[in-house]
Amino acid sequence: MVVKVHIHTTHRQFTNGSDVVAVEGNTVGECLNHLIKQFPGMEKALFAKNDKLLNTVEVYLNHASAYPNELLKPVKDGDQIHLVVMLTGG
Amino acid sequence: MLTPSERERYDRQIMIGEIGQEGQGKLKRSRVVIAGAGGLGSPIAIYLTAAGIGTIRIIDHDQVALSNLNRQVLHWEEDVGRKKVDSARTKLRNLNSTVDIQAMAETITEKNASELVDGCDAIIDAMDNLPTRYILNRCAVEKKIPFFHGAVNGFEGRVLTVIPGETACLRCMYRGLVPQEKFPVIGVVPAVIGSIQATEVIKYLAGIGKLLTNRLLIYDGLKVTFSEFRLNKNPDCDHCGSLSGKE
Repeated sequence: MVVKVHIHTTHRQFTNGSDVVAVEGNTVGECLNHLIKQFPGMEKALFAKNDKLLNTVEVYLNHASAYPNELLKPVKDGDQIHLVVMLTGG
Repeated sequence: MLTPSERERYDRQIMIGEIGQEGQGKLKRSRVVIAGAGGLGSPIAIYLTAAGIGTIRIIDHDQVALSNLNRQVLHWEEDVGRKKVDSARTKLRNLNSTVDIQAMAETITEKNASELVDGCDAIIDAMDNLPTRYILNRCAVEKKIPFFHGAVNGFEGRVLTVIPGETACLRCMYRGLVPQEKFPVIGVVPAVIGSIQATEVIKYLAGIGKLLTNRLLIYDGLKVTFSEFRLNKNPDCDHCGSLSGKE
């Protein structure tokens, strides 16, 4: 069950510059856990202390919003997850 | 009805089949609000003024600072210290004196938002902070006025168009408060994003094209890519869904 995670520009400092990382898992949450196992710096980039996604992080599964309950969404082989950071500037 | 001068002025866009004289007439009869006269507000205001929108109301409480000039192209060195809306009105009137430019040096709050946008056909979100964006989003939903969102950070920007009652609103993916921070930006990015917002407004007012509804467009200036993500209207949204008014 290989899923590709697209890393946001501001997070690539935690993935050695990689913009796409291959992960394994049956849900978005499992995939993100596998991502963090490979790149521990991603944990603080994605999660608050209570294992809740940061309010600034948006998750898209196959180019569609995974909100709400993003982490519970099932994934299948070949799926793509995009991690996007909310923007507020103008 | 367009005057001979207007037909000459807008000749190149009237030539566009989707616009024509009828579309130009719609633009002339339209009234829009631009919330924010900064990085996004500048290109939005310039292009909507040039396009001949009948009335443009610009709201911003701020004054021009030197550090604004890398991106807020409506304001020049001579404007530092001046109210942004006054600076904007001067430039826009010089660009197109037939457009009614209404400058309002106000801070947008939950109390005054409804009055500030009253009578307008479109609300354009060119703010620099999330709380005010949400105030405008809620106001747009309640008054059923289309809402045109844009935001930037660094080399990245995003655009979303909201048709109240029909499509996902800005609040539909809300998960909680976001810390307000000084954001990095280079002027070409709000130029791109603001121009897309202005395009959306023109299309909506003229009744043409396909809007960026239920579609979040993300621009990456470093890679020069546009990515599109599907959004769904949240039935439990506290602005446009079942939880509205229960906050």
